[in-house]
Amino acid sequence: MTYSFQFRAIEDNFDHFLYGLALGLVLAVAAILVGTLIGLLCAFATMAKARLPSRLVGIYVSAIRNTPLLVIILFVYFALPQLGIRLGKLESFVFSLAIYAGAYLTEVFRAGLAGVPRGVIDAGRAIGLTGFQLALYVISPIMWRNCLPALGTTFISLFKDTSLAAVIAIPELTYQARKLNTETFRVAEAWATASLLYLATCLLIAAGLRQLERRFPKF
Amino acid sequence: MNRQKFTLLAGLCAATLASGFGNAALAGKLEDILARGKIIVGIGLTNPPWHFRDEKGEMVGYDVDMAKILAKGLFGDETKIEFVNQASDARIPNLVTDKVDITCQGMTVTAERAQQVNFTIPYYREGVGLMMVAGGKYKSRDEMKAAGNAVTVSVLQNVYAEEMVHLALPEAKVDQYESFDLMYQALNSGRSDAAATDMSSLQWFMIQNPGKYADGGYGWNPQTYSCAVKRGEQDWLNFVNIAFREGMTGVEFATFSKSFETWFGVKPPEPQVGFPAELR
Repeated sequence: MTYSFQFRAIEDNFDHFLYGLALGLVLAVAAILVGTLIGLLCAFATMAKARLPSRLVGIYVSAIRNTPLLVIILFVYFALPQLGIRLGKLESFVFSLAIYAGAYLTEVFRAGLAGVPRGVIDAGRAIGLTGFQLALYVISPIMWRNCLPALGTTFISLFKDTSLAAVIAIPELTYQARKLNTETFRVAEAWATASLLYLATCLLIAAGLRQLERRFPKF
Repeated sequence: MNRQKFTLLAGLCAATLASGFGNAALAGKLEDILARGKIIVGIGLTNPPWHFRDEKGEMVGYDVDMAKILAKGLFGDETKIEFVNQASDARIPNLVTDKVDITCQGMTVTAERAQQVNFTIPYYREGVGLMMVAGGKYKSRDEMKAAGNAVTVSVLQNVYAEEMVHLALPEAKVDQYESFDLMYQALNSGRSDAAATDMSSLQWFMIQNPGKYADGGYGWNPQTYSCAVKRGEQDWLNFVNIAFREGMTGVEFATFSKSFETWFGVKPPEPQVGFPAELR
């Protein structure tokens, strides 16, 4: 190997990398919050007796899950303004990632709901809980417990997806690495640093979620 | 045949061969090209308006038209050209190894390169311009400059891309995209108010999409474009320079002017009749 590593350029620009990482985390958290809301609404909607909500959710989930995230991002950022819907740069990315997250989280929550034992629901009905009380005090806790492991994986994968924001010139971690590349040609160092930062962050998130899983009440 | 005689004969042969080649070399590139009956031009294939293939598969572009001026001057026939497709990093090596007689490939003149090849007189001065959507919020660079940091400019990601834009618009926000098409999409979708791009690309886009784009009316970051020939072929270089000069200011001006207007959308300045302007 003739490549000689020089981390000087990385050291000089490390604050840019950290800024990019922080921005990526902020984007991910915002998208996950909105996505979770969408996911919960959609998952509970499929429980309704009426057929229509279930159908609509089905269409939403399969439409989004069968479209590449990159295409959604480019569509929202470049095409929507031409159709008269104009979101800011960061907002448009959070919106894209949120509707993408929503579709996956709908499936996660639906699986969690499916795992709630019939008997527990019947027992809740038997003691006279209303539908809302049933959902809030009986179904939800068990559902959350059921989907914690799958939620963790989805959150981590959504955080990694923030790297796609580089395409629309959002200065997150991948963008910073690419920029340093063109400016200093320290190719291996720039991408190695970005990879390590992503890896470390994902491992930290995973460890945190495992703690949460351990402490979450078991039923 | 004894050894002495053989040596003498071999020596004679070598001397004859050497002098034969020597004569060819003395005759020079210009004579070689005339004897060959066509000129070999190093060029690229995919960079309009400089050099590209049209719908019929013919080589066209401003670089191609410059080569045609030479062929017409040499043979009275502008089709006597053999184009050699070369990557931009092959421009200098192909000249040095005589694979091509001349390179006309949007080549930026630098003092460093002038030590490796001889540059002809310039035929274009490239620069950066501001491309805007016609009828957009801002009409010119001055308006954008006045608007300060309310303006967003898209640019191809590059070293000093931000500094480059700030030379023209000191306070503008700069969005760096990784490819040309993303940069233009940003402009088309209103994500940016202007795209900072090569003046020649800007003019070509305006020709291709009449009425859709506007020029910010300001060019900066100048770079001179010239053709290049092998070093030391002074006769050949003189010929090319004269042919180009008479194209741009003399007997071939009508043809040249038409070409320039085709590729850049504007007429070149009319040569002043009377005292030659270049000697002023």
